[in-house]
Amino acid sequence: MEAGLIAIGAGLAVGLSALATGLAQSRIGAAAMGVIAEKPELTGRAILMVAIPETLVILGFAVAAMTIVLL
Amino acid sequence: MLAPMTKAQIVGRRRELERAIEELHRLGLVELDDASALQPVEAVGDDDPRSALRDELRFLVAETDAVLALLPAAALPPGDPVPGAVDRVALGGELDRLAPDVEALTGRLDALRDELVVLPRYLEPLRRLLPLVPELADLDDDELALLRLDTVALVLNTDDDRLVETLRDELGQAVGARFELVSTHVEEGAIGCVVVFPHGVTEEVHRLLGSEHVRHVALPEAFARLSLRASVGSMERRLAELPAAVAAVEHELVALIGPHGGRLHTLRAGMAAELEQLDAVELLGATRRAFVAVCWVPTSDLDRLQSELRTRLGAEVVIERLAASPRDPETPVLMRNPRLTRPFEFFVRFLDLPRAGSLDPTLLTALFLPLMFGVMVGDVAYGVLLLAGALAGRRRFAGRSPVLADLSWVLIVGAAWSIVFGVLFGEFFGDLGKRLFGDWALWMYRPGGEALQPLLLFAIGIGAAHVVLGVVLGAWQAARFRQHRTLLDKLGTLLVLGGVFGLAGWAADRLPGEVLTPAVGAIVVGLVLVMSLHGALGAVMGPLELIGTLGNVLSYLRLAAVGLASAYLAIVANELATAGPIWMGILIGTFFHALNLALAAFSPMIQALRLHYVEFFSKFLIGGGRPFRPFGQPGGLSADSAPLTQRRRR
Repeated sequence: MEAGLIAIGAGLAVGLSALATGLAQSRIGAAAMGVIAEKPELTGRAILMVAIPETLVILGFAVAAMTIVLL
Repeated sequence: MLAPMTKAQIVGRRRELERAIEELHRLGLVELDDASALQPVEAVGDDDPRSALRDELRFLVAETDAVLALLPAAALPPGDPVPGAVDRVALGGELDRLAPDVEALTGRLDALRDELVVLPRYLEPLRRLLPLVPELADLDDDELALLRLDTVALVLNTDDDRLVETLRDELGQAVGARFELVSTHVEEGAIGCVVVFPHGVTEEVHRLLGSEHVRHVALPEAFARLSLRASVGSMERRLAELPAAVAAVEHELVALIGPHGGRLHTLRAGMAAELEQLDAVELLGATRRAFVAVCWVPTSDLDRLQSELRTRLGAEVVIERLAASPRDPETPVLMRNPRLTRPFEFFVRFLDLPRAGSLDPTLLTALFLPLMFGVMVGDVAYGVLLLAGALAGRRRFAGRSPVLADLSWVLIVGAAWSIVFGVLFGEFFGDLGKRLFGDWALWMYRPGGEALQPLLLFAIGIGAAHVVLGVVLGAWQAARFRQHRTLLDKLGTLLVLGGVFGLAGWAADRLPGEVLTPAVGAIVVGLVLVMSLHGALGAVMGPLELIGTLGNVLSYLRLAAVGLASAYLAIVANELATAGPIWMGILIGTFFHALNLALAAFSPMIQALRLHYVEFFSKFLIGGGRPFRPFGQPGGLSADSAPLTQRRRR
């Protein structure tokens, strides 16, 4: 029972933060594609901007890992 | 690293000016800068003969390009273009002689291609209308005239059938019951109709059909007087003939222009070189007896430039170094790294070119990027397969696509690190190695539960080292650029990072209690330092910035996360492979491992790049560098070298 709850908690930590990352990236990505279409020389910076919200899901992973390791 | 650049001026006798430009163009060592700022000089490039020559050359280049564009793509033959070597009169005559035949053929070609596009637009509606009027379909215009009947085929740009009924009502009101209207949907958003009516009411019908939504399908002349069925058949035959007709005209064009192609290529290269040299003259200055050119040259090439010019132009041409700050943003930037690390320059340039005098992170990228890739993939079998693929790719793309060849080299180094970490993690196609040979990991079996904590600590450790290195480099660079606020900001960040790492070590029982006081002290001092540098908003911005830096360190947890995801997918592939008969297991295992391998080649590289761009480069990289464009080299001063011309005008 307890192990199951821990697993659900870890899953929620990763899943919800992944949803948040996806939501942010969808909006930044759409804008970035527009930028690249008009100024291809900004491709590198556009990718950088799209990559920034990924930290959210990594932090979610960190919380999930701590939930599994420490509890 | 960035090659040190020297600003120099070349002074020589005025009558040697054109030869000097020619030789500089041939050498391809210097980027010309504006000499009009030097005194005393007078512009030498604005006289009318040069301007007229430039216009003539541009016209001839455009005409030659238009002719060459009709030939299949071919490599530009090498040559040594010399100004004046192109006989412009002869070339103009040659182009004039070719022009009538070329124009006639291209006209025919355009007409045929137009037919290819237009005919299906007529054909499809008519084909669909044919079954609606079977009795009339076989009658041509003359036979219809004998019956005193007229027909109109038209397309309504709508899907709404009510519009057909409206048209029927309108026609009824205009001509009574003396017409027949049939319709069908011919494509999305279009309804095709045929109206048959007595010859006496033709004018009323045409007037009514002149409304906005009615497109009258007037057939091309060749099919206009045939019966509907004969028109359709004739169009189908014509469409079938057209590709061969287009190919025949294209063949005629190649046969006409082909014999001139090589010569025109060479002449075009000569004219382009002459144009470049004419444009270069605009950048020079001259007195009555001397000319002066200001240029940028890599410092390591300066001696060679001197000796080459002395050999080619004599001792009267003198090169003098000019004073220039190495950190001047106007200084052009040339990345010059060891051969093995040069492919990684692409990743730095992809983000931004470092500014002159700043740090070029190519060497560090070559060290850390493949290492991080290897940590994430961490599987001997995947590493070997990626290595084989990358070696094959490098061999295939060498000399054909430099970018792909460079990327293959990056993958080769990454794959080598994957093998190294695969041995450390004991992974061979996930847990297949463990199933076959037992636990053979040199360090820890990564997918095992007990490995999670050390793996996370390892990832954080790499992150801490990488971020601290970035901040140290940022501090060093700030000191070199005399940016004192940035320097203090970096030092404050380092203090806070050091304090936080000390606290973390104490909390994890890895460091003694004595570390507590200095750690807290470092955090407080660093925090106050960073806050004080942000002015009135420092109380908010300072902590936010530091939290962001700690977030940067935690971001390296993706090394563990992506790696574990890859390892677990490999294990799932092995589990599924053992669930059924052996032949099915081989198929399923191959499919899932191939999928995982494809992901392993792509995703870890993106993640490692992101760690470099966002977490590492942001600590020290100063972008906005202006690339070095040597005069006479591809990408150098050319007819469209707007940036240089703009700088000159400023």
